[in-house]
Amino acid sequence: MTVFLALVSMLLYIYVIAVIEASLRTGRVNAALPLFAALALLGRESIVPRKCDRIFFETAPILLLLSALLAAAVLPLAPGLMITDLATGALFINAALAYVLVALLMAGWGPDGAYALIGGWRFLGQLLAYSMLIVMPITAVAMRASSLLTTDIVTSQAELWNIVYQPLGFVLFFIAAMALAFLPPFDLPTAQGELAGGVEAEYSGVRLAVFRFGRLALITALAAATTVLYLGGWYGPWLPAWAWSTLKLLGVASAMLVAGHYLPRIREAQLLAWAWKFGIPLALLNIFLVGVLVLVLS
Amino acid sequence: MISGARAYTDNGVRRWLARAMARDLGTLVVPGLEIARLHGLDVGAAGLRSVASPRHASVLLVVGALPPALCQAAAVLYAQMMRPRIVLALGDEPLSPLPSADIRLGLSQRELLEGVRQLRVLLADGAFQTTAIDFEPAILSTRTEYTCPMHADVIRDEPGTCPRCGMTLIPREAQHDDHTGMDHAAMGHGQPEHKESTDHAHAEAHVRPESTDEDHAGMDHAAMSHGQPEHKDSAEHAHADKQHGDDHSDDHGQMNHDDMDMDFMSMVEVTRDLPRGSDGLQMDWLEVPFGPLFPGLPGGLTLTLTLDGDNVARAQASAPVGIEQARLTEPDEVATFVERISQTDRLAPLAYRLLVYRALENAANAVLDANSIRGRVGALERERICSHLGWLAQFGQQIGFGWLARRAAVLQLAARNADVRKLQQLRPQLVALTQRLQRTPLLKQRLRGIGVLMDDGGLRGPVARAAGAYDDLRLQEPAYQDLNFETVVRPHGDALERLRIRLAELTNSAMLIDAVGVIDASSTFAHMEAFHHLSGSGQASIETPRGAASLQMTLDQGRVISARLDTPSTRHLPRVASLIEQCELGDALTAVASLDLSPWEVMQ
Repeated sequence: MTVFLALVSMLLYIYVIAVIEASLRTGRVNAALPLFAALALLGRESIVPRKCDRIFFETAPILLLLSALLAAAVLPLAPGLMITDLATGALFINAALAYVLVALLMAGWGPDGAYALIGGWRFLGQLLAYSMLIVMPITAVAMRASSLLTTDIVTSQAELWNIVYQPLGFVLFFIAAMALAFLPPFDLPTAQGELAGGVEAEYSGVRLAVFRFGRLALITALAAATTVLYLGGWYGPWLPAWAWSTLKLLGVASAMLVAGHYLPRIREAQLLAWAWKFGIPLALLNIFLVGVLVLVLS
Repeated sequence: MISGARAYTDNGVRRWLARAMARDLGTLVVPGLEIARLHGLDVGAAGLRSVASPRHASVLLVVGALPPALCQAAAVLYAQMMRPRIVLALGDEPLSPLPSADIRLGLSQRELLEGVRQLRVLLADGAFQTTAIDFEPAILSTRTEYTCPMHADVIRDEPGTCPRCGMTLIPREAQHDDHTGMDHAAMGHGQPEHKESTDHAHAEAHVRPESTDEDHAGMDHAAMSHGQPEHKDSAEHAHADKQHGDDHSDDHGQMNHDDMDMDFMSMVEVTRDLPRGSDGLQMDWLEVPFGPLFPGLPGGLTLTLTLDGDNVARAQASAPVGIEQARLTEPDEVATFVERISQTDRLAPLAYRLLVYRALENAANAVLDANSIRGRVGALERERICSHLGWLAQFGQQIGFGWLARRAAVLQLAARNADVRKLQQLRPQLVALTQRLQRTPLLKQRLRGIGVLMDDGGLRGPVARAAGAYDDLRLQEPAYQDLNFETVVRPHGDALERLRIRLAELTNSAMLIDAVGVIDASSTFAHMEAFHHLSGSGQASIETPRGAASLQMTLDQGRVISARLDTPSTRHLPRVASLIEQCELGDALTAVASLDLSPWEVMQ
């Protein structure tokens, strides 16, 4: 039952995020738009490019969806409302999200198309920028909770949310999460004006539907991760626990989508330079500060 | 019945899906959104969703007349679109080799709205048909031939075995005759033919879910090149190169495998014959066409980039929709000539009409009154505002800045036919746009140092002014001098400076219109009869939104017997290759977009 409830909530979040994304694009709020778009994709032809690497091409969208769902599986929406509470939860988020790169590389290589191929390569470069900035802030969060259990991480924030306890980590994680979900301004692998869709360009019909669904699931999972790791998970006054999780999760996802709408796409070289010159030293500083705080406060 | 229906019997579920498809209309606009906006078309407001990849589109919206090169490119795009697909044409020009339009209406927003309504009905009713109509224009036809993996010279039309070694022949796509000069050697990669190695692993990839859609048979990834039917072979090269490392049992033509250890994949061996990039690394080079219908570039502009990773190793820019010199100098009646020049640049039609009228007036020694001159200044400056806003919208799209793309497009549509009062109301919004862009994070970092072009006398217009040159014909015109016009010049010559120049010109032009207080060019154009018996020669120049254009023409008894046209994009286009070589792909495209090239005004 819990698993079912968690999955249904996940589906609802994905739908709301799809509505927000469509509204930003069209400038009008239309709650039915994603439904029509999804049905339309199911009705349309879905072809396999002639000289594609069939296994890679077919696997990529499913792998993207799976890695997002796996990451979401260890994130609690309320006490007990999660798919599984792994002892290595915080580590498992990293492990699951690592497959996003694999999925995108496969989607880039699979269809044997130049735009897709370049998109895949670009994401490989992007990984070098974001991966440490996902892992290192999570390390600091786990340090404070003295546990890798995601539920412990939430309860460690009962007094003070991590966004206040370690704001630096939050900022780094939020930006890295946007880069991991290849959201604008980090949409290098799908860049419309540069690669005409990039890794997505050759997908159509039902395969494209799975790919887009996977992308939305990934945004949802990362918003849920931000909520659990930094925004105190289900904690909040007056409203029930699940309502707080929902509000925070949708708030984070909206912030991610809106930020990209008002920014130009970043240059890959700058992304890498900034990530290594500033991001990683700051992430190390964050771990150090959290270490000192943990020592002092305990 | 639509021409691009899917071949399925209709049933309840499919009817439901068809209705959903009628509500979600991914659209490719040909020649481009910039042309649609110039005709006052708001594609988004009409319920169409502009998409970047033909695989994601179900509607092909054709705006106005297409030159033959774009018709062919549009046919390639149409072939890549997924069924059900539909063609909506605004204007009554022929579209061959595209299938005839499913809906054909006039060129206005009202008719576009009506077109979308009809299109929804057609899609909801006819998305699934018992039989699908094939789309097989000659430009997409491909032939499969069979060759021996060991003996490249063995080529057969039928499957079978090699007469020399007995190996099973493998299929490959036969080359068009016009591709003979396009092999690896011709591209200077110093690489033997690898095509024969491609299909080993991928023979099963020919299986496609809908065997009824035979017209997709020619759709390998090369066809995914945004309307570029040529260069199929280069894409195959890429694939062949990819296979290279995996499949050492093949004989790669001239490669010597004797000293190669077959048990492991040696990168040294694998990359030995590959071209060497600027960083000394040997990598696959891909030749990738961008255009003539690429979402981040103006429709009609083609870049052929040889990519070394995501670095541009070589570049070639062309404008297949440009003006043919022979056609321009063809003797003609003056009225026809005027129309031809006026329609030269679809992105700045008024500037070119003014140019040809000025040349005619100079030939006839006609003098305009002050009011007419002011009216023309107003009209030209309004066109400059629209052109710069149109560029901003496209630039926003190119650099992935969603807000800018939408905001500039909205302002352009508002300014298009605005009178003086309306433009006065728009001015604060133009100022706000400028201020907003000055404050946008990441924008400066994205554009600074990109596409640096310093002035050497060959640049024109905003591109020259961004490089420190006081290149503005308006400075020499008495009408502008009376208005105390001052041009904006900036020193660094990069994409950021070009953006700043155009932003400054937006508000400057709005102020100029305010000062002249009138926008009226059409009533100042003399009737053609005035020039019917004109003989002599006339010369004129005008500062178009992209820079100075000049026209020299000689008339004899009302017939134009010779003409010479100089346009800014003709000067800028040859600079593109050297500008973007050794740039990262994203930077290269940004640099090209920042030049605001109009492929329509390029002299061939």
